[in-house]
Amino acid sequence: MSSLYQKKVKKRTVILAFFSLIWLSGIIFRLIQLQVIDHPRLKAEVIEQNRSINTISPKRGTIYDRNGNILARSIPTQSVYYVSFNNEPFDYQFQKIQKLKGLLKLSEKDLKIIKRRIEKNASFIWLKRKIDSKKAEKVENLHLSGIHLTEENKRFYPQGTQAAQILGRVNIDDDGASGIEYKYNAQLAGKKGKRLILRDAKLREYHFETLERPEPGNDLTLTIDETIQYIAEKELERAILKRKAKWGTVIICEPSTGEILALANYPFFDLNNPPPDPLKIDRIQGIHHIVDPGSTFKIIIAAAAMESKSISLDEDFDCSKGAINIAGKTFRDYRRFGILSFPEVIIHSSNVGAIQIGQRLGEKTLFKTIKAFGFGQKTGIDLPVEVKGIVRPVKNWTQISLASLSIGYEISVTAIQMLQVINIIANRGVVTPPKIVKKILTSSFDQKKEPLSYKRVISEITASNLSLILERVVEKGTGKAAQIKGYKIAGKTGTAQKFIPSTGTYSSSNHTASFVGFVMAEKPVFSMIVVIDDPQGQYYGSQVAAPVFRKIAAQVLQYLRIPPQEDSLKTIIAAKPLRLMDQ
Amino acid sequence: MVRKKIRKKEIVVGLVWTIAVMFFLTFYIWNQIESIRVGYKIGELEENLQSLKKDVEKLETEKSSLLALERVEKIAKEKLKLEKPKKEQIIYDNFRPEP
Repeated sequence: MSSLYQKKVKKRTVILAFFSLIWLSGIIFRLIQLQVIDHPRLKAEVIEQNRSINTISPKRGTIYDRNGNILARSIPTQSVYYVSFNNEPFDYQFQKIQKLKGLLKLSEKDLKIIKRRIEKNASFIWLKRKIDSKKAEKVENLHLSGIHLTEENKRFYPQGTQAAQILGRVNIDDDGASGIEYKYNAQLAGKKGKRLILRDAKLREYHFETLERPEPGNDLTLTIDETIQYIAEKELERAILKRKAKWGTVIICEPSTGEILALANYPFFDLNNPPPDPLKIDRIQGIHHIVDPGSTFKIIIAAAAMESKSISLDEDFDCSKGAINIAGKTFRDYRRFGILSFPEVIIHSSNVGAIQIGQRLGEKTLFKTIKAFGFGQKTGIDLPVEVKGIVRPVKNWTQISLASLSIGYEISVTAIQMLQVINIIANRGVVTPPKIVKKILTSSFDQKKEPLSYKRVISEITASNLSLILERVVEKGTGKAAQIKGYKIAGKTGTAQKFIPSTGTYSSSNHTASFVGFVMAEKPVFSMIVVIDDPQGQYYGSQVAAPVFRKIAAQVLQYLRIPPQEDSLKTIIAAKPLRLMDQ
Repeated sequence: MVRKKIRKKEIVVGLVWTIAVMFFLTFYIWNQIESIRVGYKIGELEENLQSLKKDVEKLETEKSSLLALERVEKIAKEKLKLEKPKKEQIIYDNFRPEP
């Protein structure tokens, strides 16, 4: 071989080695760039694309009535979501969504939102949440890439409209938005869990791992009795429809414990098919709506008179004129009475007599008693946004305020506050704050019972005497329509003209009718308030609210198997089917 | 070269050791496999239990729905033609249950 040939080979080898070195350097440089310089950014991108941590919703606690009947429970349901593919053209992705438009009832607004999210390359997009199982099956059978189903919980109310406002509603994420659901959200909601999802290069999910297990929420037992609630709602609805009233409420309570057995609010709503404006559900008339109490407030006047010993029980009041003039304003009775004793003023609900009692009491004593009974303060019932009513301080009273207050005007109260007043009398002078949650069923059963300490408002003697007067109201006074043969009932009717804020005056054609009372056996069994707003035609509490009290009380007594008092040693043995009765 | 004569006793001891080690290894592997198998079985049963619990809850909820008082009253009145008992139809007994 010639040296020329060897030189040629050497030259070629050097050139080849040179280019190989450059090529190798290029590869090494690229490797350093990818693995060292850009490594953190690229790793983050890969993680972003291939793994995601999703929240696992815990199962929300169940709400039971006092007898263990289910009032609200979360049931499993399916939700549809879309995992977008960055490498797929936008039109192709959106076509898949449009195939579901009819099946999932996606509105134009929904589609617009989804479209915007795909354009922004969002990796996870909700299409429709909480659909029924049939729809879910249809979606699954379409086998559309990127369309997935996941299990979520949906709140279900087996009793439909029953106790809707008390139970309240939850939002789409299962968080309480009103009522008990809102107030006890922390206990009911549980703790959310976390799940790791890994995807391959084609963004197909291939690995699921639970990082944190979700903790289910605690169950709640309410003081509500499903049957009593049903009776109250049924009779309230009947009365409202008959009287063409605007709204109404009935609250039934166990006076000795303050436990609410029923809290009915009309109009009713079905939580399984909520109205377009769900805020309507949030209003619990009995604790959110304030009214002038009218004559039911005469209980306070009587209590103040007896407690302060300003007036003796045998004292008489001249009500013969049927009217009384205070600072130029005339207050009238619904009829002329003549001379009435102190108890008779309450029994016959005389405005003229009550105003005279009020004048004798004076502003300070009356105001002190009003405050002692808890007006202008929240009762503390465990429901959200309780209203405390309006009680004006004495310095803001006018010349006619004392007279107006004596007959239940110039003060705004809630139904629950009036019920608390009757509970104080039924409990011989002590206050038992109303409550609606009986217990929280924690997994560890470590709930401590708080010792009960009740505050005394009036003396036992005052309460007993007042109780006897209120029994006479039902026996021979304005509350006759609340009578039930064989049972002792104490109560007071109330009729109040409605205040019109726009004119600042009281309406002569719009009224609020009410009756508040309790049923006695060996001890007070239950107390109840009935409020009917703006009844048409007859509007007196004695005509509108007292009959509702009687109808409900009669059915509740049979349901509780409390025999008439002349048969006090007996009990009903044929009453079980009476859960269905209709009066 | 003189071959060392292995005594019979040594052979037996060696054999016993070998068998013991093999037995131990077999037992260990069997135990591991069995643990995994039982683990799978527990997982499966756990899943089954959860599913049954869900079924029970679903049935309880369905029962509650079916026993909704409004529905029951409607059936009692319209289908079974039941009526509320009149006052004189209610019988009282001298027995009084414990409070």
